[in-house]
This record gives sequence, C-alpha cells and structure tokens, in this order.
Amino acid sequence: MTAARAASAPAVSVEALGKVFRPPGGARDLLRGRLFRDPVPALIDVTFSVAAGEIVCLMGPNGAGKSTLARILGGLLTPSSGRATIAGHDAGVAPPGLRRSVSYVVGDERSFHFGVSGRENLLFFAALHGLDVRAAARRAALLLERVGLAPAADRRYREYSRGMRQRLAVARGLLGEPTVLLLDEPTLGLDPVGARDLRVLLRDDMIRAAGRTAVVCSNDPVEARALADRVLFLDRGRLIKEVSPARIEAELGLATEGREPGRPGVEGPT
Amino acid sequence: MTPPPSGERRPGPGAPPAQALPGVVVWFGRVLAAFTRRELAAMSGYRAYFFTRVFSFVSVVIGLVFFARFVGATANPHLAAYGGNYLGFAAIGFLVAQLQQVGVDGLARRVRTAQVMGTIEAEMATPAPPWMVLGAAPVYEFGGAAVRSAAYLWGATLIVGLSLPRTNALTLVFAVPLVLAAFVGLGLLSAGSTMLVRRNNPVTLLLGSVSFFVSGVVYPVTVLPRWLQHAGKLLPLTHALAALRGAFLVGSTPGDIADSLIALGIFAAVLIPAGGATFAYALRRARVDGSLTHY
Repeated sequence: MTAARAASAPAVSVEALGKVFRPPGGARDLLRGRLFRDPVPALIDVTFSVAAGEIVCLMGPNGAGKSTLARILGGLLTPSSGRATIAGHDAGVAPPGLRRSVSYVVGDERSFHFGVSGRENLLFFAALHGLDVRAAARRAALLLERVGLAPAADRRYREYSRGMRQRLAVARGLLGEPTVLLLDEPTLGLDPVGARDLRVLLRDDMIRAAGRTAVVCSNDPVEARALADRVLFLDRGRLIKEVSPARIEAELGLATEGREPGRPGVEGPT
Repeated sequence: MTPPPSGERRPGPGAPPAQALPGVVVWFGRVLAAFTRRELAAMSGYRAYFFTRVFSFVSVVIGLVFFARFVGATANPHLAAYGGNYLGFAAIGFLVAQLQQVGVDGLARRVRTAQVMGTIEAEMATPAPPWMVLGAAPVYEFGGAAVRSAAYLWGATLIVGLSLPRTNALTLVFAVPLVLAAFVGLGLLSAGSTMLVRRNNPVTLLLGSVSFFVSGVVYPVTVLPRWLQHAGKLLPLTHALAALRGAFLVGSTPGDIADSLIALGIFAAVLIPAGGATFAYALRRARVDGSLTHY
C-alpha cells in the first residue's frame, strides 16, 4: 500500500460491527410461546478499514461470516450493532448513493435469467442502473468484450459454462462504474486456469487499472495471494487476525504451491 | 479477454459515478422497457409456452360462444338490469376477474419468482429503488392483461357478434383507474405477505375463488342469498364488476354507479397505504433477517 493511499480517507470503514440472526420459530416454538428460535451470531465486534485503491481479502472457513459482511457492506443486510461506512455512505441505511458507488459481485449463477442471452441479461441490469437503451447497449457491449464474452454475448445464459457465468457476473458488477467492488467468491467452482484468468482480469484490469477499491471474500489461499494487499481472517464471526498475502499458507499450515503470474514473486499454475 | 479500451472513464478512488440518474418516471420507463424486452425474448425462446397462450386465448373465446348460446337461449329476469346481454355480461365478468387475478398475483408472483430464481439479491444491489425493481413485472402483467382483454372483446365481437353500443366512455374514465387502484392495493398486500411467509400466498387463491362466486363473475349477484350479497360487498371485485358492467352494457353515468365508485375509492384509499406499508415492512424485515433469497 502506498503512503498516499494510507493517508487518504478509508473507502471502507467497519466499526464494532455485529450481526445476529433470529430465525423464525416453527410450530413447536410457537406452542412454547416463542416467535423466534435462539439467536445466531454471525458477526461479532468486527472492526477494520480499507484504504481507497486497496484490495483486501476476507478469508475464513464456511460460516465464518464473510458473505454476511459483504452483504452488509452492499446494503443488502442491516447490521445488528456497530457501523459500516463504504464510499462515504452508511451501509446500515443503504441509501441509493451507496448502491451507485458499491457493486456487489456475487458469483451465484442463479442470479441471472436463464432463458435469455448474456447481453439481454446485462441490458436489463443496465436499465436498473438508469442507463437508456443506447448507453446500455454500448456499456453491455464494452463489458462483454472486456470479460471475453463478446463472441457468446447472444447465446442463452443457460448455455454458458461456469466460467462464462462468473465473467458475466463481473461484467454486471461494472455496469454502474462503481468505486468499490465487493467480490463474493468470484472464482468459486472454476477450473485452475479459468480461475487464474479471471483473477488476472479482476486484479489488473477491473481494480488496479481503474483505481477501484475491492473487498474479496474467499476461502481460497491462492485467490487471496493473487488478489489481495492484505488478508483478514474471520472465524465464527470474529476478526481474528490480519496477515500479508505472502504469509497465508504459513498461517494456514499449507505448502506454498500454485502461484500465479503478475505479482512479484508469485507464479501460477498453467 | 481484452485490455480496457482507451477512453473508458477511470473512476479513481472515491470518485463519484459520472452519469446522473434519470428522474424516476423516465427511469421506471427504461426498467419497464428492458423488462418487457427480456420477457418477450424469453417467451420467444419457449415456443411451447407461446403456443399455449394462443391456444388458451382461442379456447376461452370458443368457450364463451357455447356458454352464451346455452345461457342466452332463455330470457333471464336477473339479466334485465344488464340489457339481457349475457355474452357481454359474462365476457366482462371474466376479463375483470382476470384483471383482479393479475393485480393480486402479479407482484407476489414476481417476488416469489425472483426469490426462487435467485435474481432478487442482484437486482436489489443496483441503485434502482425496490419498488422499481419489483414494480415492472406487475405493470407488464397488467399491460398484458389489458391487451388480452381487448383481444378477447375483439374476438367475441368478430366471432359471436358481441355488441356494446351503449358503452359510456366517461364512466369508464372514472371507473377504470379506481378498479386498477383497488386491485393494486390488494397486490401490494399479497406481495408483502408473500415476502413475509416465503410461500405462495394462500390469500391469493382464497380471494380468487371466493370472489368468483360471491362477486358475480358469471351470474348476477341477485341470484345469491341476501347474506351472501352483503358479504360480496366486502370485496372490490363486486364493485368493479358492477361499475364496469354498468358502463359497458347499459351506459350508466358516473352518478348511476356512484355507490360502486365510492366503494372502489375507499378500497383503494385503504388498501394502497396498507399494502404499501406491508410491503415496505416485508422488505425491511428481509434486510434484517437476510431472507431476501430464502425460499
């Protein structure tokens, strides 16, 4: 991280953030006079910040709270306690300005309409971003080109491979030209080469070259090392430590294999 | 994958997005147009679905022909108030009942489909306000229902000589918006409860079936026992049918059907705020308990 970045106001600021889910009770709970089941703490007193232009990876096992944190930052979930500010907006209130400045890129393949083409899917989301027909068409074409989907732009989404769907999700995330990207498992389920290509695209083109800030949720050490400036470890809702990307494997007790190109001292699988 | 083309804007850290958002009316128009285009594109990809809709249209018109022949063979005193025009009576009954179904079910089905398909979270993450994200579908459905209704009336005119010469257009100007407003209020209530219970809404089914019998979709309510006639007045469809049949079949003036128009106005005034509040509460709850994508 450069001195200039460190000196600027953080793009993401999370202070004592907590989230407790209260699952609705079933018939048995209602008979016992309880509307809800026992509370489930998903995040406990999480505090960190991300400087503008920085890439931070949130790591942790399944259920650690990574996606919950990303959803709060994206304005899709209300925190139970604490405060999260992102691009100057209170994520708990989730004003429209937040959803313009922040893009929540979720690799869930169910998040697109299966019956229409990738281009048609993007055009619909472009309208939700307020773009008129011409601007939407231009933007969709540009992004499809950038993520390498131009030749398949008019094929139905259901015919896309897993990697193509992930790339389309990235393209959708850039429709509104956000300043902060929230990437939730961006390469989940991809083969090693496909994952490497997508990471290079994200890091070099979509984030670094565009001067964006990014928070990446992942439990893949290769991904964290390839993308992040810093890595934060979550476990059972708590932020337990921060490490440099170079030390992830050591922290996890893994061998240092499978490095990716494009970072000093980092090589990737081919 | 290609490098970024020169000339694309570099937002830079903390820089605000360059393009200003349009006004809500223009914006919603764009969303509606994009939604319509996407639905038509999807529909054209499912040929069986398209032909099913065409077959459904033809079968309803043909069904009306035989039904009108059967019932219209004898003069019925209950139809005197409607000019004895049973075909027109039944056609308007079916079409308005269909409009209610679309109004009540359109938004709820959209919410449910988006939850099951998983698109709702990605859509809600865009700058568009939730009402805009979810509102395009019911408007599209209403538009589709209006086109279908016009097509049914046209088909009935061509095939069985349905004639509505006494239609009072001025009354329609008053009645149609009130009918739509009452149905939209029901739809908001239905959609809000669908989001809260995360199941297909039983209220929709109940309302549809009860209304069909009590509101007089295929027969005048005067054939019902007195207590059922009173019960029917608690449903918007009863007043919608009375108002629109009056306007289409016997040329009623707004004054002639004032009772129905006032009742529809009250339904709209109560149901829209109540439905809006329920829907807004359901959205807030979804953000608290993370149930936006639960199904």
